[in-house]
Amino acid sequence: MTTFVLRRLFWTVPVVLLVILLTFLMMRQIAGNPFRKSERAVTVSQQANFNRKFHLNDPWWKQYLYYTKGVFTFDLGPSLVLRNQDVNDIVKEHFPVSLQLGALAFIFALGIGIPLGVVSALKANSVYDYAAMTVSNVFYAVPSFLVATLMIYFFALKWGDLTGLPTSGWGSNSAKIMPAIALGIGPMAYFARLLRGTVLETLQQDYIRTARAKGLRHRRVVVLHVMRNSLIPVVTAAGPLLGYTITGSFIVELIFNVPGIGQYYVTAIQARDYSVTMGLTVLLSVIIIVANLFVDIAYGFLDPRTREARS
Amino acid sequence: MPLLEVNDLRTHFFTREGAVRAVDGVSFSLEKGATLSIVGESGCGKSVTALSLMGLIPKPPAEIVGGSIMFNGQELVGLAEHDLEDIRGRQMAMIFQDPMTSLNPTLTIGTQIIETLERHLKLGKAEARKRAVELLEEVRIPNAAARLNDYPHRYSGGMRQRVMIAIALSCRPQLLIADEPTTALDVTVQAQVLDLLDDLRKEHEMAMILITHDMGVVAEAADEVLVMYAGQIVESAGVNELFDKPEHPYTEALLGALPTIDEETSRDSRLVAIPGRPPDLVAPPPTCRFAPRCPYASLGDSCTVEPPELREIRTGHFVRSAHPTSERVRAEETIA
Amino acid sequence: MLRRREPAVAVPGQAVPPVAAMEAGAPIRQTSLWRDAWVRYLRNRGAVACGIVFLMLLLYCILAPVFSPYDPNAVDFKLAHQSISWHHPLGTDKYGRDLFTRTALGGRISIGIGFGATIAILGIGVLYGSISGFVGGKLDNGMMRLLDALYGLPYLPFAIITLAIVGTVTFWTMVVALSIASWFTTARIVRGQIITLKENDYVRAAQSLGARWYRVLGRHVLPNTMGVLVIAVFLELPGVILGEAFLSFIGLGINPPDASWGSMAQDGREAYRLYPMEIIIPSVAIGTLVLCANFIADGLRDALDPRTRET
Repeated sequence: MTTFVLRRLFWTVPVVLLVILLTFLMMRQIAGNPFRKSERAVTVSQQANFNRKFHLNDPWWKQYLYYTKGVFTFDLGPSLVLRNQDVNDIVKEHFPVSLQLGALAFIFALGIGIPLGVVSALKANSVYDYAAMTVSNVFYAVPSFLVATLMIYFFALKWGDLTGLPTSGWGSNSAKIMPAIALGIGPMAYFARLLRGTVLETLQQDYIRTARAKGLRHRRVVVLHVMRNSLIPVVTAAGPLLGYTITGSFIVELIFNVPGIGQYYVTAIQARDYSVTMGLTVLLSVIIIVANLFVDIAYGFLDPRTREARS
Repeated sequence: MPLLEVNDLRTHFFTREGAVRAVDGVSFSLEKGATLSIVGESGCGKSVTALSLMGLIPKPPAEIVGGSIMFNGQELVGLAEHDLEDIRGRQMAMIFQDPMTSLNPTLTIGTQIIETLERHLKLGKAEARKRAVELLEEVRIPNAAARLNDYPHRYSGGMRQRVMIAIALSCRPQLLIADEPTTALDVTVQAQVLDLLDDLRKEHEMAMILITHDMGVVAEAADEVLVMYAGQIVESAGVNELFDKPEHPYTEALLGALPTIDEETSRDSRLVAIPGRPPDLVAPPPTCRFAPRCPYASLGDSCTVEPPELREIRTGHFVRSAHPTSERVRAEETIA
Repeated sequence: MLRRREPAVAVPGQAVPPVAAMEAGAPIRQTSLWRDAWVRYLRNRGAVACGIVFLMLLLYCILAPVFSPYDPNAVDFKLAHQSISWHHPLGTDKYGRDLFTRTALGGRISIGIGFGATIAILGIGVLYGSISGFVGGKLDNGMMRLLDALYGLPYLPFAIITLAIVGTVTFWTMVVALSIASWFTTARIVRGQIITLKENDYVRAAQSLGARWYRVLGRHVLPNTMGVLVIAVFLELPGVILGEAFLSFIGLGINPPDASWGSMAQDGREAYRLYPMEIIIPSVAIGTLVLCANFIADGLRDALDPRTRET
C-alpha cells in the first residue's frame, strides 16, 4: 500500500507539469496574452515589469519553465489589470471564501443526498422513493443559475421578512445559507441518484443474502454490509464532482455576489486579465489533481482487492 | 415430533405477467439429524422452497401466500422479521451455491465469522475470535489464526465454501440448508466439501436439507429424497427405494441422465437430456404438469384432463403421476 | 446437464424476473437485437414520456419561428417586458421581442450546439479510444497515462480559454470550446468496450482467418459499440447543454442578436426582480431538455445494455 501511495504521489508531478504546459500553450494563443508584447495599451513601466516577470525576451519553453518554477514556488505573477496586485494576493484574499462555500455545499450535498438515495433504495417503488427521485431528477437537470435566482426571488425578496436571508454577500452566517444550497443542490441530486442505484445493486448481491441468512439485525446488514459497499462509488465520484462544484461556484458566486475566486475568475475573463485567468486555471487544475490523488488513495483503503493488488 | 414440518407451502412471485407459482403446495417433514435431498432441474422451485424456510425470499416480488412451516414447534410463516432474525443463523443456517459471491469482499473473513458469534452467542471480542479460529480449523483451513485477517479474495472457491460452512455451523444450528453447495466448485473439490459437510453433520447431530440437481450427490448423502417439478413434489421416497424403484417418469429421466462409468459406451454416449421445457408457472396447465414432456402420457389419458394427486404407491413412497413405473409394467403385462 | 453448473435460467430465487430469464434462455438473433431493445425501452414509461417531450420540444424549436407572425429580432420598446398574453404566449423581453418565438430560436442554437459538441466529443473519443484499445501495447499505455493525467479536469476553464483565443463567439467556436476538454470520459469508455470486444471469440476468429485490422475494427468491433455510443449521445448532451448555458450566462455566449437559452437567461437576469419569467422561461427550457435527455439515457441504457447500471 505504501508503495502504491508513493508511486501515485510521484506520478502527480508530471501530470501537474503537463497541465501547466497545456494551459500555457493555450494561453499563448490568446491575442493580448501576458506572454506577448505590444498588443495592449499598458504603461511602459508595466510592460517592463511583464518583460521581466514573464521573461518575454526568452524563447517560449524558457518562459514555460520560469512559469512552472513560479507555480511550484507559489508565485503566479502580477495581474495585468489591477495595478500592484499579484495573482497570489487575489488567491490569498478570495480563495478561503470559495473553499468555505465549496465545503458547505459539499456537506449539504452529502448530508442530504446520501440519506435520500439510501432510503429511496431501501423503500424502492414506494411513494417516498418516487418523491425523492422526482426531486433529485429535477435538481439534477436544472441549471444552477435558475435555482440561485429563484431562491433569491422567493426567500430573500418575497419572504425576506420571514426568513431574514440577505440577497447577496458573504458577511454573515445567514448570507452563506443560500449560496451553499444553490451550489450543493446539483451534487445533492447526483449523490441521491447514485446512492439509490448502488444500494439497489448491493442489495441484490449474494453476500447480503448471506448476511441476512446469518440472522444479523436489519440495521447491521444495512449499515455495515450494504452501506460499506455502496459508498465506494461515492468516493470515486467525489473527485470529478469537485470540478463540477468549483466551476458551479463561478455562477453561484456571481449571482450572490460572493467575493470568492470563482467570481474573480469570471471578472478576470471579462476584463481580459489573462495572467489571473491562467494563474487561477492552473490553481484549479492542481486542486483537482490533488483531490483525485486523495480519491485514489481512499479508494484503495476502502476496497481490499485493489489495495492488495496495488501493493 | 419432527424437527421441521412443511405443509402445503405456496410461494408466488408477483410479476408484471402475473403470479408465478414458484412453489405450489409443497409438504414434507424432516426428523432431527436426518438428511433430506431436494432434486429437480433449474426453476423447479427447490431453491425458493429453501429460501422460504429461511424467510429470505426477495420481497417484493415474492410472497408466501399459503401453507405452514413448523420448525421446532414454532410457526415460521407470518413470523415477524425481527423474530426470524433470531432463528436464522442460530437454529437454522444456510449455505449457498456460489461461494465466490457469497462473502462480503470488503470485510475480513474473521469479521464475517465473528459477527455471527457476537450476534447469537453473545460472545466477547476475544472469545469470539478464539472460537472463529477453532471453526476455521474445524473446516480444515490451514494456518487458521493468520488467515482470519484475510479478505475473501485471498481464498479459493473451495476454501470460501468451507468458510461459508464454518459460518453456518458457528452457532450449532439444528438444521442446515445447503443450496447446491458444490455446483460452483471444481470436481476434485466437490467431493472434499461434501465429505466435510457429512462429517460435521454427523458430529453435531444436525439435520440437513441438501438441494441439488446432481443425482450422484443425492445417492451419497441423502436419507430421504424429494423430486420437484414445476413447483410441486412429484415423487418422494427413501434414497434406496427411489434409486432402485423410481416411479415417476421424470425421476426415471433424471436417473437416466446420470452418466455411468462402467458402460463401455460411456465415453461417447451423450447424457440423456429430457426434451422440452417446464411449463409456464404463471398459468400452469390444468393437466399433469409433466404431461407435455411425458413419454407415456397420450391424448385422452386421465392425466391430460385433470392433474394427478400425490399418492402413496408403496409405504413411504409417494408419486404424482398417472403412469408410475410399477403400474406401467403391470399394464404392459396384462396387455401381453 | 449433469455435473455442470446450472445455466442461469428461470431461477426465481435469484431475483431474475422469470419472463426475462426465459427470454435469456432463448437463442438471440442478431437482427432482433435493436427490436428487443425497442420493446424494452417502450416498457419504461418515464423514458417514453421524456422521449415524447423531447421530440415536442424539438418540433417547437423547429416550427415556432416558421409560423410566428413576429420578427424575432425587431426592437420595439413600446412592447418591452409584456407579461404572458394571447398575443405573446410567453411575454416579451426588454426590447419588446416576442419570447415565444425567441425561445424557439434560442432552442435551435442551444440544441444545435448541444448535438454538435456531443458528436464532436464522441468523434474524438471514439478515435482516441479505439486506437488506444485496438492497437494496445505501449501506445495504449501511453495514451491511457495521458487520459489519466487529464481525467477529472474541469472542462469549463479550458472552454473559456478556447473562446478567449478565437475572440468572437459563433456557433462553431462554441462547439469547439465545449468539446475540446470533454472527450476524456468517452475515450475511456470506448477503449474499455473495444478491449472487451477484442477478447471476444468472433473477433479472434476473424483475426485468425487473416482479416486485416481495419476490417476487424470496422466490421466486427465498431458496430458492436453502437449501443454504447447511442447511450453516450444522451449521456453527454445534458452536460454540453448546461456548459453552453454556463458560458453564455457569464457573458461568453453567442454574439447578439442571436441567442441561446443561456444568453436569454443572462438577459433575463438583469431584471429578474421585476420580471422573473424572463429568466425562468429559458432556464426551464434548459432544465426540461436536460431532464428528458437524462431519462432517455437511462431508458436506453436499460434497453440496450441491461447489464450495466449507474456508475
